[in-house]
Amino acid sequence: MKQPLYILSACSISPQHSYDMERFLNPVISSDDNKLYVTAPDYAKYISPVAIRRMSRMLKMGITAGMRSLEMAGIVTPDAIIIGTARGSVTDMENFLKDMISLKEEALTPTGFIQSTYNSVNGWLAMMTKSTRYNQTYVHRGFSLELCLLDAQMMLAEATGNKYLLAGGFDELTEEYFIIRDKIDYYKDEPVNSRTLLSHYDTKGSIGGEGAHFFTLSNDPNNATCAIHGIAMLQQPSSDALQQAIADMLEKNGITNDDIDVMMCGMNGDVRNKFLMDPLIAGCSTNTTIAAFKQLSGEYDTASGFGLWLVHYLFTHSSIPSDIIYKQGSSTSVKNVLLCNVTIACNVTLMLVTSS
Amino acid sequence: MEELKIKLKQQIIDSLNLQGMKPEDIKDDAPLFGDGLGLDSIDSLELMVLLERNYGIKIEDAREGRKILTSVQTMAEYIQQHSKI
Repeated sequence: MKQPLYILSACSISPQHSYDMERFLNPVISSDDNKLYVTAPDYAKYISPVAIRRMSRMLKMGITAGMRSLEMAGIVTPDAIIIGTARGSVTDMENFLKDMISLKEEALTPTGFIQSTYNSVNGWLAMMTKSTRYNQTYVHRGFSLELCLLDAQMMLAEATGNKYLLAGGFDELTEEYFIIRDKIDYYKDEPVNSRTLLSHYDTKGSIGGEGAHFFTLSNDPNNATCAIHGIAMLQQPSSDALQQAIADMLEKNGITNDDIDVMMCGMNGDVRNKFLMDPLIAGCSTNTTIAAFKQLSGEYDTASGFGLWLVHYLFTHSSIPSDIIYKQGSSTSVKNVLLCNVTIACNVTLMLVTSS
Repeated sequence: MEELKIKLKQQIIDSLNLQGMKPEDIKDDAPLFGDGLGLDSIDSLELMVLLERNYGIKIEDAREGRKILTSVQTMAEYIQQHSKI
């Protein structure tokens, strides 16, 4: 990556108290029914009463996370808004489809239709920040967020004068969506306490999750907490191909396996991913602390956004919370972090993040 | 008529998700748009759907729609004259 993506701020709305960083993991939020829904912040801080009344949960999550990220970075109007989502606003889509059936495609209300589109969060953010420039939504299942970040990186690398971008990802969990995905073994048959997810690697499926994670990005290292130096996406790779991709990324950035202080793993507890995860963990340096995050976020297509937020959290706090440590390494600093997310479909994304 | 207006106010509150509002908070003659209830153009579409779903009234002419949706009073009067349900 020629131009690193500097992260100025990050905001996450997740099942944990991530919106209020001082309360993060205090206490750890868990569930016993294979579903982790977000812990909602006060949405009224950023959304007017007139607007909020017709918004679904997903819209409120996305808008609030985006606006808060910009506020934390001190940016009023970003040069671009780029978002990744695999499913958009599922609740609005479900409501609209239900109305279509029950009302025989007549007398349909506009709100569900307008807000069910994938880019409705972008639209609202653009209106609220008065941003009339580049506005893009990437809808590519488990690669949605990474493609959004790649676009942001390319835009900031061009000499177009763009300096501050808002990028992020979101996806929501609904009861019906859970039932549909459960039919394709996306979730575990047995009820699992979310905190023990990683000790259930002997069965198919994971636990459902949701969240909205936004980042204010820049090509200027001033005031940045950390920087993304590499992004890679691998569609159903072999274990060897994954190891090679990691080696290539490290080599391109002039570092070795031993330089990785933390491997932030999106381990989802699905037995079908074990052939990727076991060699990956075994191949880590003894210096490297292996951390895991899906026992906190649940599994969903843009869960890597929570992983990236957590990486940002490590840089801002310079310590690793014990609740995410899977295997302690000997390194005592947090300078180089490799984020590795694996989806149920065995697609893998990698991000190399270093202190700026 | 009074019963219809109370029922209509509740339907408006439910349909537009006017949180924390009760029927008695909406005055019969208060404008629904602008200074009154502060509704917007998407709300006007929602109200037109409300009339169609609950009273079988289909508003085809936008100008006529604007007059009908002036206040709860004008809506109730129109419903009383044209309801097909």
